[in-house]
Amino acid sequence: MQRKFQRLASLGIVLASLAVAQDRTSTLIYGGDWSDLITLDPQVSYEFSGGLITDNLYETLVKFEGADLSTLKPGLAESWKVERGGDSWVITFKLRKGSKFSTGREVTAKDVVYSFDRAIQLKGPSSFLFIDIAQLKVGGTKAVDPYTVEVRIPKTASPGSFLSILTFNIGGIVDSEEVQKHAKGGDFGKEWLTNNSAGSGPFRLVRWDRGSQVLLEANPNARLKPKLQRIIMREIKEPTVLRTALESGEIDIAEGLTPEALKAIAANPRFKTLKADSLRLNYMGMNVKPGSPFANPKVREAMRWAVNQDELVNGLVQGNGTKIQTIIPKGLLGYNNALPYKYDPTRAKQLLAEAGYPNGFEFELLTSTGLCGGGIPCQDIAAKIQSDLAKAGIKANIKAIANAEALKIYRAQNHQVYLGGWSPDFPDPDGNATPLADFAAKSLAWRNVWEDATSSKLANQGSLETDPSKRAALYKLLTDYALKSGPYVILYQPSIPLGFSAKVEGYVRNAQGQVRFENISKQP
Amino acid sequence: MLSYIVRRLFFVLFVAWGVTFATFFIAQVVPVDPAIAALGENAREEQLEEFRERYGLNKSKLEQYLIYMGRLISGDLGQSLRTGRAVAEDLREFFPATLELSLAAFVFAVLLGIPAGIVAALRPNRAPDVAVRVLALLGGATPVFFSAVLMQYLLAQRLDLLPVQGRLDGFLFPPPRVTGMMGLDALLARDWTVFLDSLEHLILPAFVLGMFSAAILARMTRATMLEVLAQDYIRTARAKGAVASSVIFRHALKNASLPILTLLGSLLGGLLSGAVLTETIFSWPGIGRYVTQSATSLDFPAVMGVTLLVGLVYALVNLVTDLLYAFLDPRIRYT
Repeated sequence: MQRKFQRLASLGIVLASLAVAQDRTSTLIYGGDWSDLITLDPQVSYEFSGGLITDNLYETLVKFEGADLSTLKPGLAESWKVERGGDSWVITFKLRKGSKFSTGREVTAKDVVYSFDRAIQLKGPSSFLFIDIAQLKVGGTKAVDPYTVEVRIPKTASPGSFLSILTFNIGGIVDSEEVQKHAKGGDFGKEWLTNNSAGSGPFRLVRWDRGSQVLLEANPNARLKPKLQRIIMREIKEPTVLRTALESGEIDIAEGLTPEALKAIAANPRFKTLKADSLRLNYMGMNVKPGSPFANPKVREAMRWAVNQDELVNGLVQGNGTKIQTIIPKGLLGYNNALPYKYDPTRAKQLLAEAGYPNGFEFELLTSTGLCGGGIPCQDIAAKIQSDLAKAGIKANIKAIANAEALKIYRAQNHQVYLGGWSPDFPDPDGNATPLADFAAKSLAWRNVWEDATSSKLANQGSLETDPSKRAALYKLLTDYALKSGPYVILYQPSIPLGFSAKVEGYVRNAQGQVRFENISKQP
Repeated sequence: MLSYIVRRLFFVLFVAWGVTFATFFIAQVVPVDPAIAALGENAREEQLEEFRERYGLNKSKLEQYLIYMGRLISGDLGQSLRTGRAVAEDLREFFPATLELSLAAFVFAVLLGIPAGIVAALRPNRAPDVAVRVLALLGGATPVFFSAVLMQYLLAQRLDLLPVQGRLDGFLFPPPRVTGMMGLDALLARDWTVFLDSLEHLILPAFVLGMFSAAILARMTRATMLEVLAQDYIRTARAKGAVASSVIFRHALKNASLPILTLLGSLLGGLLSGAVLTETIFSWPGIGRYVTQSATSLDFPAVMGVTLLVGLVYALVNLVTDLLYAFLDPRIRYT
């Protein structure tokens, strides 16, 4: 009896391992720190991991393809046009016929209306993109016929920003009938969509085991046919474990490796690596309120000459970032590659003398005790900058506190210099230009008390311009202007270190963090 | 006896109240705004305001505390600021994983630590004793983050004997959730593949987590056994010609067991409160990881929920330990 059981058990294990072996080539295991995941509802999720996953469960009307974030491509909409209509912009989308949700229903204009209104009514953490930035209201989206959608936004909103926002998961179209079926007490199906999916994307959600993994399976009705059958998003928080798991074959992709691990993996032919761009800028914000040394533009300029950016990027950041000095990151329209400031403490001293600080000055450098982009502790970056500035006679006293606490001080304009990071809310230059240059937007320019009519005007014009080349010209003016007189020392644009099994192909990640899972394949 | 238990349970309630009070007011000392922690760098003032409004963060501290206690009495632990779910639901999700891991670590510690201590005490200062003492010193002094990574490298990566992380292979489906403990649920569902795989995943983290407890237990067992073995009644027992095993287990171990039991109680309580490092390194979705994440995002309802749970677990484990005293030592009577 016992022997029979043993035989049965071993047979079971053999069968199971055969099944596993077959699965391996059509399944991808993607490891990373997905601990920020709190919902998979496209209209509610505003966390990085939520976006990465929902982007593959839901399609949007328009989208970006590959790594390019400056040209919009058709998604569920095969074409669209922007027109002026009285005191509003009218954006008309023509939907493709025959796109289907995972439920088998066809995607029609009423689903678009429902999804957009749903985003506004749910008031999720990303809803400000629709409500405040696009100034879209319930009723602003209309189904003209089953395949035509008309959206009206006020003249004061930027249609360019709105279209960029639509590439985000908040613009993901849900199956309105299916979601309404699961709605409970006016929640628009929010509870159900937290761990279920009803989209037309290449994958559908099978299950989410909180804290462990999310399992996606090819959506049989999808228009975009994926090359893989299953994607498993395995949650691994610890970078050293991520590396061990990749090296022992438990995962195929490791996101968020340390710079050292990335180097070691790059040297092994069984693996390949990628430093994916992000849209984040790590920077210092100088409070220019009257009475502060930074109120003098010459002092701000001295600060920019006094930071050794090359050493920072190549040394501390170990190449996991790109040197940049302007306020719109690489990857977006309006990126300006000007790098006029080179490390020159003598020049900084001279500027300080001209500004009335021949013996330098002292200030408090506020930062977080956590990590800054590129996996480097903010305090390490602050220490590096402190030693650079000292050579120009500027004494920085580092104050490192919990992130939320540092932000509280920064948001109340109570800092002298803040060291941290900024990522645009949506992949459009306006996601940086307005917050960083327009005082009235009550964001970074406001926090640093930089009230400048020229920069505000350029930011406003740039946001409303619909012609891409004119828009780029406006942003060139703005970035040059802020480079010279703004309250920022832009440090670098961090990249995201990834390691792959050499068998994985077709992985492309744009700087907004979107990855199209349907293009990924795996050799046997 | 019964009235004693009732009195103690009443005392547990008092402990629970003390825990909520202390946690709540310690949380208030932290000079940080949970709304900023939750919504981050880019949040607009209106969003922050809306968040504070929704979670009642605008109200006075006392008012917030009274509301919290009012809900707690009706069994509601409140809503997590980070996950947006009921804290009770989050605890139900994550606690069983911790329970499974800590029970396995506990069993391992008992099976290894106590016999090692006995062996060491029987031949003091001889080879087995020296070996146990050295190992116990190592086990007690090696930090988890080191031993865990070392084990992962040796046993998982180099020798490929055990999986590196997680509770189950990515290709297997977890069994239907009954207890939330993967191995037990797999047994209930008679899914042997999943059962064996979950066991494989349990070995490394349980070993790493239990190592410290095993080391302490071995030392404690050795010390108390040495003391007891030197007593007159042991000599008498031996002189009477009692069998060696009877002397060791019936005469010596039973009398040495009270301090060991006390230690077992506090070790188990400690294990059950969630092992932050072990859970993080082995990607084990337990409450240790949950509470650190909650604490860093200033999610006070979640932190309070976990603290309360851990407080209760401790109090109950202590109660059971005390009751076991009476069982082991007839001189102890509770009235």
